[in-house]
Amino acid sequence: MWFSSSPKEETAPAPVAETNRSHQVAAPSVLPAGFDASKLHPMAGLGSGGLEYLDLESNSQRADGLIASRGWTEDLSYGTGAVYLVGLSVGGLYGLAEGMRKSADMGSAKLRLNTVLNSVTRRGPYLGNTSGVLAILYNVINSSIDYARGGTHEDANSLAAGAITGALFRLSKGVRPMLISSALLTGVAGGWCVLKRMVAPGEEKR
Amino acid sequence: MSGDHSRDPCPMVIVNDFGGAFAMGAIGGTIWHSVKGFRNSPVGERWQGVKSAVRLRAPTLGGNFGAWGGMFSFFDCTVKAVRKTEDPWNSIISGFLVGGALAVRGGWKHMRNSAIICGFILAGMEGAGIAMSRMMAENPVAPALPEAPLAAA
Repeated sequence: MWFSSSPKEETAPAPVAETNRSHQVAAPSVLPAGFDASKLHPMAGLGSGGLEYLDLESNSQRADGLIASRGWTEDLSYGTGAVYLVGLSVGGLYGLAEGMRKSADMGSAKLRLNTVLNSVTRRGPYLGNTSGVLAILYNVINSSIDYARGGTHEDANSLAAGAITGALFRLSKGVRPMLISSALLTGVAGGWCVLKRMVAPGEEKR
Repeated sequence: MSGDHSRDPCPMVIVNDFGGAFAMGAIGGTIWHSVKGFRNSPVGERWQGVKSAVRLRAPTLGGNFGAWGGMFSFFDCTVKAVRKTEDPWNSIISGFLVGGALAVRGGWKHMRNSAIICGFILAGMEGAGIAMSRMMAENPVAPALPEAPLAAA
């Protein structure tokens, strides 16, 4: 298709950047102008879907997120890992500040170190674990929505996943806390979508 | 284009391993503690027991798994970068270091013991992996040799 339809299109750069069809990269830029793949072998059907010079399907990476991904398990791992580490660091820093404040009038350095370490290891893992569990829920729900919609991803999927995650998180606390946390996490998911646009414009996924 | 493409290169894979280990621990912990909470609650409060046990303990188990797996990956990458080789010793060394690092608040003796135990566990796992791959590999078949050279004329 690329080679026979119109000669003008052949001077355009190869559609490598067109990420949603990255598994099927045609190579018109390196081939001579009059090249017609369908004439190579009449039985091979080469002219039907463009000529692929790399079989990226066998080890396919979706390159349409912030980091390339091989599927929902890797989305889950990276999402959870990143959120967990951020939660751990933020909680740890909060615990550090708290420990420093609490132990300000302690004379002994050893006692002070112990107090600080105690509050770091209380706050850090608590926030890390909580946010990690939220990230697991969010990623599983998000991937499920993508899958249920036939692999299409939109910002609406992320927002819905955030809303469901927030509601599940406060499920046992009653309707009002559920709504609040649902709204909060929808906002976080929306913020993530905006951030993704700003860092990598024109690409979407996760 | 050679090498293992099923895993990402080193600095990034630490995040992946953190998340994977955390998810494994949290999801496994949900199953584990729901069974445990169910069995340990009196009849009539079983569902309540499941909920509270899972909500209390599954994230903690996930955190413990995540800390272990992520630190292991971190040390594995460090050891790889220092030694510039990839062999079973990397895992054993990083297992030793993880064991020591996680026991750092227990004093020198505790650190030493835990490091040695973790190193041995990882050595056992590496050994089991090598044995498995040996067993799975096809046995080499000797080529069929003619029984005796033909006698001349």
